[in-house]
Amino acid sequence: MVTWEFPPRIVGGIARHCYGLSRALAKKGHEVHLITLDFPGAPLYEEVDGVKVYRTKVELGHPDFIVWTLIFNHFMEKRVALISKEVDFDVIHVHDWLTAPAGISSKHYLNRPLISTMHSTEVGRAQGLHTPDSYLIDGFEWWLTYESKRIIVASYSMKREIEDHFRLPPEKIDVIPNAVDVEQYQRNVDREAVRARYMIGGHERLVLFVGRLVPQKGVEHMIRAVPMVLKEHPEAIFLIVGEGWSKSYLESLTRSLGCESRVRFLGFLPDRDLVELTLSADVLVVPSSYEPFGIVALEGMAAGVPVVASNTGGLSEIIEHDRTGVLVYPGDPQSIAWGINRVLSDREYSKYLIQNAKRRIAEIYSWDVVAEKTLKVYEAAEENPRK
Amino acid sequence: MKVRIPPIPDETYFLCMLHNIGATMPERSLSIEEIAVRTAMDPSEVEENLRKLTASNYIEARVVGGTKRYHVTLNGIRKVLSMYS
Repeated sequence: MVTWEFPPRIVGGIARHCYGLSRALAKKGHEVHLITLDFPGAPLYEEVDGVKVYRTKVELGHPDFIVWTLIFNHFMEKRVALISKEVDFDVIHVHDWLTAPAGISSKHYLNRPLISTMHSTEVGRAQGLHTPDSYLIDGFEWWLTYESKRIIVASYSMKREIEDHFRLPPEKIDVIPNAVDVEQYQRNVDREAVRARYMIGGHERLVLFVGRLVPQKGVEHMIRAVPMVLKEHPEAIFLIVGEGWSKSYLESLTRSLGCESRVRFLGFLPDRDLVELTLSADVLVVPSSYEPFGIVALEGMAAGVPVVASNTGGLSEIIEHDRTGVLVYPGDPQSIAWGINRVLSDREYSKYLIQNAKRRIAEIYSWDVVAEKTLKVYEAAEENPRK
Repeated sequence: MKVRIPPIPDETYFLCMLHNIGATMPERSLSIEEIAVRTAMDPSEVEENLRKLTASNYIEARVVGGTKRYHVTLNGIRKVLSMYS
């Protein structure tokens, strides 16, 4: 498995996905070698629940992002080649375009089938191709889909997106939803103590956002909804967890709306703290404008927190409106405020959503199921490995 | 639906460059002159960007042998990676 992010190098959902999938495959008795990039403080080699994790040190750098990407891919490719002297790989599984060159060259060098998981696309993330880098990334993505024997996506909306954009045969794509580690959310936490740590009073209602602070995550729309929520629920307090390049813009937007006392930016939180905070929240908001899956919504559902999410992409497939969560119009602060107010105003309704959501999570979204489905994709790819 | 994209600040691009040239750990930290050469920027421009990013804890400075050297912090790395994922 080749991925540019794996804990503690956590950027978005890819790290969580690779962590969950690789451990589930190893648990089933498969030998999983995961090649990723180094991260300050993390060992260059370790075994994580049976998964052999190799962190590649990148000795060279370049200010240009695309050149830097090609450089680290070169180092990853070398690492795969070195490991392959002792290990006979059956398949190569690459996650997103960032490690596409390493995966593609390994495929040709080892003569093994390449499987790729497309977590998102450049045209979706950037809402079009507006810069030369975007065109290049789009090209890398197409190249990866072309070279892959099979392509995995986490939702039907993503399947449609890549089918249309890259002109792919539908039968080449498998839909395997993401999953969530339910056990992580089954522990008892002292909600009051956790909330006190973030200076939240017992009477206050905690509205949580978790994600990268980038435009497609829609945080701006949630912040614009804050005054409308405060009108009905002055006790609401918004915590924003995550880092991202639009953070300073979002902070200034919060100030300009005059709600800086009710909105706090916490930055990146380690997993343990994040789980505790999620378990202590009153509502989780996923206001994305573009979301191929939305693993954070699953985490909220597993934690027993009512989820208010945009009716878009994978979120529309995870959440059943008025049954397992509340769907709102993407990019519409009024609709987001309506959804949050609806949950905060009716505790019985909240409980109803939580019960249904937890049941749904247990039925569908387990890493064991994802691993089983992924193995079937590997087997299908191996049937004619040289094609 | 279309996403309104706010302009990316210059210092964020600078932070990305510093990350991509490998200054991501104290032992790989670089001086203003070294950064200026590797990024083909004017040293005064480098200094101004470093000042802003150090203030927001995305970059850390340390003095080695009388020279100030800079590297991207963990928070800085996360900010950079958010651009690319």
